[in-house]
Amino acid sequence: MRKESPPDNNTARADLIDKVTGGAVYASDIRVPRMAHGRILRSAVPHARITRLDVTEASALDGVVTILTGEDMATLAQIHWGLFLNDRPVIAIDKVRYVGEPVALVVAETLEIAEAALDLIDIDYEHLPFVDTAAAAIAPDAPVLHDVHDAIADFYFTGQAKPVAGTNIFQKFGVSTGDATAAECDAAHIFEHTYTFPGVSHFALEPHSVVAAFEGDDLTVWSGAQSPTAVQKVLSRVFGIAVANIRIIVPFVGGGFGGKASVKIEPLVVAAARKAGRPVRVTLTLAESMLTCRRLGATMTLHTSLDKTGKILSKRATILLDGGAYADTGPAVAAKAAHRIIGPYDIANLEIEAKAVYTNTVPGAAFRSIGGPQAVWATESQMDEIADAMGIDPVELRRRNLLPRGGEILDTLRPLDADIGDMIGRADQAIMNLGDGAAAGIAVAATDPGILPLGGALVRVLVDGSIIVMSNSVDIGQGVRTVLREVVAKMLNQNPNSIQIANPDTSTTPFDWGTGASRSTVIMGLAVEDAARDASDQILALASSVFDGAPNDLRLVPGGVAHGDEFLPFQDVYHRAFGVDSGEVVGRAMVTPTRDGSDFKKSPLFWETAVGACDVDVDQEIGTLSVTRYVGVADVGHAINPSGAEGQEEGAAVQGLGHALFERLDYVDGQPVNATPIAYRVPAIGDIAKRAHTVLIENGDGPGPMGAKGMGEGGILPVAPAIANALARRYGIRIRDLPLTPERIWRALRKRGDDAT
Amino acid sequence: MTSSTHNISMTLNGEKTNALVEAHTLLIDFLRDAQNLRGVKRSCDMQICGACTVLVGDHPVSSCTMLAVDADGADVVTIEGLGDRDNLDPVQEAFLEFGALQCGFCTPGMILATKALLFSNPTPSRAEIEHHLSGNICRCTGYQKIIEAVESLAQT
Repeated sequence: MRKESPPDNNTARADLIDKVTGGAVYASDIRVPRMAHGRILRSAVPHARITRLDVTEASALDGVVTILTGEDMATLAQIHWGLFLNDRPVIAIDKVRYVGEPVALVVAETLEIAEAALDLIDIDYEHLPFVDTAAAAIAPDAPVLHDVHDAIADFYFTGQAKPVAGTNIFQKFGVSTGDATAAECDAAHIFEHTYTFPGVSHFALEPHSVVAAFEGDDLTVWSGAQSPTAVQKVLSRVFGIAVANIRIIVPFVGGGFGGKASVKIEPLVVAAARKAGRPVRVTLTLAESMLTCRRLGATMTLHTSLDKTGKILSKRATILLDGGAYADTGPAVAAKAAHRIIGPYDIANLEIEAKAVYTNTVPGAAFRSIGGPQAVWATESQMDEIADAMGIDPVELRRRNLLPRGGEILDTLRPLDADIGDMIGRADQAIMNLGDGAAAGIAVAATDPGILPLGGALVRVLVDGSIIVMSNSVDIGQGVRTVLREVVAKMLNQNPNSIQIANPDTSTTPFDWGTGASRSTVIMGLAVEDAARDASDQILALASSVFDGAPNDLRLVPGGVAHGDEFLPFQDVYHRAFGVDSGEVVGRAMVTPTRDGSDFKKSPLFWETAVGACDVDVDQEIGTLSVTRYVGVADVGHAINPSGAEGQEEGAAVQGLGHALFERLDYVDGQPVNATPIAYRVPAIGDIAKRAHTVLIENGDGPGPMGAKGMGEGGILPVAPAIANALARRYGIRIRDLPLTPERIWRALRKRGDDAT
Repeated sequence: MTSSTHNISMTLNGEKTNALVEAHTLLIDFLRDAQNLRGVKRSCDMQICGACTVLVGDHPVSSCTMLAVDADGADVVTIEGLGDRDNLDPVQEAFLEFGALQCGFCTPGMILATKALLFSNPTPSRAEIEHHLSGNICRCTGYQKIIEAVESLAQT
């Protein structure tokens, strides 16, 4: 829809202007002196022993600096690393476990030489049986990918994965309340359906890119990393270097979506730089990024019982997640999927088991709302199937089961802080406003993000009144810099344009757990707010000695301090207090689970809620589906940057559209057959709904600054089930496997036709 | 690796530029590495994402699949040549005003593709905007605000 006037983007403008002029420096733009270039030789087979790896000829090529292989791993302090399980070698040692696994890294004077050298490496494999689906991985005779499961507790995420010895299962996570079996005995209806969600690619436009440089014992790494302190910690363990000697710098990042969270290629590049004795840069191709991580695919069976009025009595769910060759954050994905499959419903009896398993495929990893889109696909598709079978309107069935604000999805979790019923009403209204009547399909979701309230910040008020905010929250496009600038500007009563947000840099900036799980607005928002308050207190204390008045009589005004009608610039305050026309005030803060005034011991810090409503149109000749109208509703507490918040919702919804209609990382005989940008289809500009609207609900009831909740993930959740529900409503076909390809739709339409005759 | 080298001359962001390039050098590498124009973004390497789009003449071109020698004699414009902080091009201004970018990695290409559209069609319809920008992928914004930004330019 055309807008009459552009939104007010004044603060955001400062963060965006470098991006429209080409001035923004991204990870893949970093160049350092004496830098050599790395290219990776990747396994072409899904599962094999490496019987010979000969780099003699390649090493002899003019311009090759060095070649890193599994033989170099012996000198590391820790060879295998991970976030939940130490299962991944820095580079393949004796075995490869998926097509795309790095087996050698050539470092050369130029990229071209490195590439030419790849062709000169000889490698022989002894093939092993492989599994490229989760179902095959749990079969009794399945080849086991990892002989040992070295699970580490509370390393980066709280808790510990629960692998099953001698199997491919690296995580089992259960939720159990009440007595589902007993409830089923009393039920009038029991429904069982199975839904599948494939592994999908992040497809951030900037591929993974890392530059690593040693200077004596000090290591500096520039990386497009969402979790700089996780990278720092893992590198410390692998290379036996003190955390203080490792500096991670994160410039602008060309999209993350979870694909650059935790740790990815950093250990590999650092190992190469160490061996080369000079800085090494590795920038993957986008195709290589697709071989680096992906969302976990899932098969979910729901067994739901209801009484005759449509009240849900129990839900049993099994979730089988395809975790790929290395666990990465898969254990957390499984745990979250188990929570997120419940939905915002009042269900007394739950029996949920999520399992994540190793397969000989690209490692699974975090991706926008981990486990969320998979779980919501199943739950919200089934709600409509149940409604249809029971002859109840799908919205009415939901209303009969929705938890009110303050209701508990699980008694171990924070009560629900949003009114989903009200959100459905607003979605209804908004889609009516787009014309052509009510929605054909809706879906709702409530997920538990905002993890790990542990993050610090510094706010430095300099002598000329300019301000530097130092935070390790990473700008991956979500606009965190704008949010932080707004928060500091408000707390210090300063012009937003006088505030700079520094690049994340672990050598100068306090710990933060990482950028993900919609946590930065709340956790880093509060950290910079607290740090700004600390700076304010210090400045007012200085000024009180200068003005000879109590700090309470003083107030910050743009550029300085006021006392009644008197105004003193920061410069004069500092000059009089310090005796020189120089100096600064440093405000500091660290948000922790015990932060004063916050209730952060219970998870989640806030709920991320979503309602999606849509209508669809299908070309029945060829099975193509287009979404004609789409409305997304999110309860964000308060939108600190309204245009940015809206953009987050819109972008999430279109990623959800891609998951719904196009995206699937395909495997044939262990080979990823479409893991290239040309074969893998993400939404293009013509694919989006012609009429769309986003509703942001702002009640100021979030735990963050100005009552904000975190956001940005919720919008992806309801899209696929809302579309499938609309497809069922409009065309009478129910598809339980994503994506909703033209072929699947066409076949379902044919089958419907056959059934009717 | 053997390769012939060639002298090329082009107008690059309004300035006459002469250079010696190898025959196989891609335009994107020439611009990013030899000319230090890092606003040209590298993503897919196969001419499907549009992040590396530059203007050659008035046409949008994927610099990842064009040889630098083929730009000999051409008028080439990258995002750096469009406008700077204090003097933005109307397209840059519209993208800022409408919040039509997030991570910004597709943005230089998206802006230059829009520029090319407006050269050939100053008042594009939504369908024409979609058609013209279908070769520029944005994974962040969901395109809504990009369409709003471009439509605002079409109105004037």
